[in-house]
Amino acid sequence: MPELTADLVLRKIKSGEKVERADLRGLAMPKALLEGVSFRRCDLDGANFEGARLARAVLKNASLREAFLATADLREANLESADLEGANLQGANLVGANLSRANLEGANLQGADLSGARLTHAQLESAKLGGAKLVGAHLAHADLGDTDLSTAKLDDADLTNANLCGANLEEASLSRAQLRDAQLRGVSAKGARFLEAVLVNAALATADLTNADFTGADVRRVNLAGARLDGAIVTGARVHGVLGTGAPIQGLRAEWADDSLDGTGTKRVNGADVAALLSGQSAIQKRYFGRGDVLRNAHLEFEAGASVEIESLFEQCTIALGDDAELVIGKAGVLAGCQIRGAGRITVHGKFVERESPGIQGPTQLVVSSCGSLTGAVEQPAELTRFAFEPGCMLRMKIQQAKKERAAEKAVKGGRQR
Amino acid sequence: MTEKDVTPRRKTLVEEGTQFKGSLSSDCPIEVKGRIEGDLTAPALLVSPSGSVHGHVKVGEMRSEGELAGEFDADTVQLSGTVKDNTVIRAKSLEVKLTPLKGKMQVIFGECDLEVGGEQAQKKEGTTRPADVVRPVSVRPPEPAPTSDITPPANGAH
Repeated sequence: MPELTADLVLRKIKSGEKVERADLRGLAMPKALLEGVSFRRCDLDGANFEGARLARAVLKNASLREAFLATADLREANLESADLEGANLQGANLVGANLSRANLEGANLQGADLSGARLTHAQLESAKLGGAKLVGAHLAHADLGDTDLSTAKLDDADLTNANLCGANLEEASLSRAQLRDAQLRGVSAKGARFLEAVLVNAALATADLTNADFTGADVRRVNLAGARLDGAIVTGARVHGVLGTGAPIQGLRAEWADDSLDGTGTKRVNGADVAALLSGQSAIQKRYFGRGDVLRNAHLEFEAGASVEIESLFEQCTIALGDDAELVIGKAGVLAGCQIRGAGRITVHGKFVERESPGIQGPTQLVVSSCGSLTGAVEQPAELTRFAFEPGCMLRMKIQQAKKERAAEKAVKGGRQR
Repeated sequence: MTEKDVTPRRKTLVEEGTQFKGSLSSDCPIEVKGRIEGDLTAPALLVSPSGSVHGHVKVGEMRSEGELAGEFDADTVQLSGTVKDNTVIRAKSLEVKLTPLKGKMQVIFGECDLEVGGEQAQKKEGTTRPADVVRPVSVRPPEPAPTSDITPPANGAH
């Protein structure tokens, strides 16, 4: 039996008396008007607040195990560190509520509205959140292991460092959600939408991501070992440093993806190459010249399709790039008094200074990033160079057209090959 | 929505089909849908895809989707469209976006010089700054014209 009956509680509230720390186990107050009331540290295990109006109520540190709060109005209620294990909050309105460090293990929150709610460090293991609305909710460091979040709306939610291992995210919407460093091992996320979500460093090993949509998402350095990505969409995703699935991916949809280190869109990979990259079976062998190394007076030739990254100091060197070879001058890379020739794609994050003009001859693409610097002339090929410059780049640059004799030479060469 | 949001800011517009030769100076942003040949000074310049500017230009901000030729001094430049032969662009900051491989070229560069960042900041002290102050909102031009500005008619078009 509770220490106080429902009538006594209401009387106390009306007379302005406090009901904090009271033993109110099994209290039945369905549909009661309790807005702004404080039940701080009360024992409300098994209490019935179905449809009650508890907006802005203070339930901090209260024990509400197995309580019945279905369809209750708990907008902006303070439930910090409350114990709601096994509670029924189906269809409850928890918009803007504070549930930080609350225990919601096994709670039923199906169809509940938790938009903008604070759930940092909350325990939601095995909770039922199917169809719940968690738009803009703060779930950093929350434990959502084995939680049912199918069809839930988690757009713009913050799930940084959250544990979602084994959770059900089927058909859930996580557009623009923050999932940096989140644990998503073994999640079932068939058909889930991660549009423009940030999943940097997240663990997605053995996850089922069939038909999931990662359009524009940042999945750099994500662990996909053993994950299923068949039919997934990854167009425009940032994929640098992904640990691949280890198996071929069927029906991956990707017009292009960004493989640049800093996710600035300066290194695009297309179609089949994206599938190869995400499966960890990329055929492209990268040549890397590391920091601290110095190369002088060298002539280097890279074959068609090669991928080269330079973080070293190159002095008075000549680099010949085969068709569609990629050359990235990293942030620490310096090419002083050098010349680059050939129909390759060049990205400058570091410095390039020419030896003789034109320092860069015939590139199909030239990108100078916000930290890049280029001094010299660029001679475009007959079909022109695709240029991109980011704000912050430094340029002392002459752009020239293809020399007629070189264009003619190329045309003759093309004719012979045909 | 506030009144400011719905009322267009004052600007000088050189409408499509209009050709202007000579010196143009304005203390409000200039939008060029037609063609300008000559010197141009303004806090901001927007060259639409149908627009072209040939001459000496000093502006705070410049965004061009049209055709540029001549000498351009600006604080910030966003480029797409065409840059003709013998053009010099000096700016503190330049932005050209990368287009998809099979897409239309973002900028077609002729033979030109780009001087961007670094010392450029000190070289350009005489450049007109962007309008720092929010100007009175009106679709009508100022009266009378302060210098040799083009003042657009009531409908804003020439």
